[in-house]
Amino acid sequence: MPDPNQKRTNSALWLGLLITVLGPLSNFLYYSKVSAAVLPWLNLAIPPAGLLLVLIGVARAFREPQLYGGKIVGSIFTVLATLLFAGSVWLFIHVRDVPRSAGAPQVGQSVPNFTLPDSTNQPVSLAQLFSAEPGTAQPKALLLVFYRGYW
Amino acid sequence: MRGIQKDLPEFAAQGIRPVAISVDPPDVSEHLRQKQGYTFTFLSDPNTEVIRRYDLLHKAGGPEEHDVSRPAEFLVDRSGTVRWENFTEDIRVRPRAEQLLAAARAIQW
Repeated sequence: MPDPNQKRTNSALWLGLLITVLGPLSNFLYYSKVSAAVLPWLNLAIPPAGLLLVLIGVARAFREPQLYGGKIVGSIFTVLATLLFAGSVWLFIHVRDVPRSAGAPQVGQSVPNFTLPDSTNQPVSLAQLFSAEPGTAQPKALLLVFYRGYW
Repeated sequence: MRGIQKDLPEFAAQGIRPVAISVDPPDVSEHLRQKQGYTFTFLSDPNTEVIRRYDLLHKAGGPEEHDVSRPAEFLVDRSGTVRWENFTEDIRVRPRAEQLLAAARAIQW
């Protein structure tokens, strides 16, 4: 019988958990300089990578219990990593569920005119947005930023 | 938004006036402006009238199935013509202020 004190550390299990935790944290990278072309895929790839490592760790714990511990912890980690994996897939699909906006004004087309209240409840028209504000020159162009809202 | 505010002098130097538009009512936009220190114009379209006219409506896209605007950015010249636009496919991915400035710089106004 091998000495139970000589059990090896089930590193795959812990590394897997660490990566799994990094999954949700990786969403904060959207505030960083990391390329936006890579980030969504990185967010999607991290949780399954973590889950895979956890599964390797759990398999070890059950196949070679005399060498590796982690049957219980590993099972808990597996559930956690699976949930995070499912969550990351859901998020990946959900954040891309954006309408195509095929009818939006295209480059070269005129934008529809409008008048909307500003944050002080004063009506402002598109033409008024082009008029000079106090202390500034008349703008050459507007940058219209439509956003989802603050809630 | 934060990036635009930070680079506001650069936008002004290029003659670009940023304007934010959402379904938020004026008081919510004002709260956001105060809290974040935004000084540029925020317009409110709670009835999604203009958002629909621009075909940017994201039906039930907000919390509690609220209709919101999908994220989109337009550079519009004085004649009212779109010179540049951007529609993200992932709501987490938005153009950075420097990308917006680079787009504006590439245009002969």
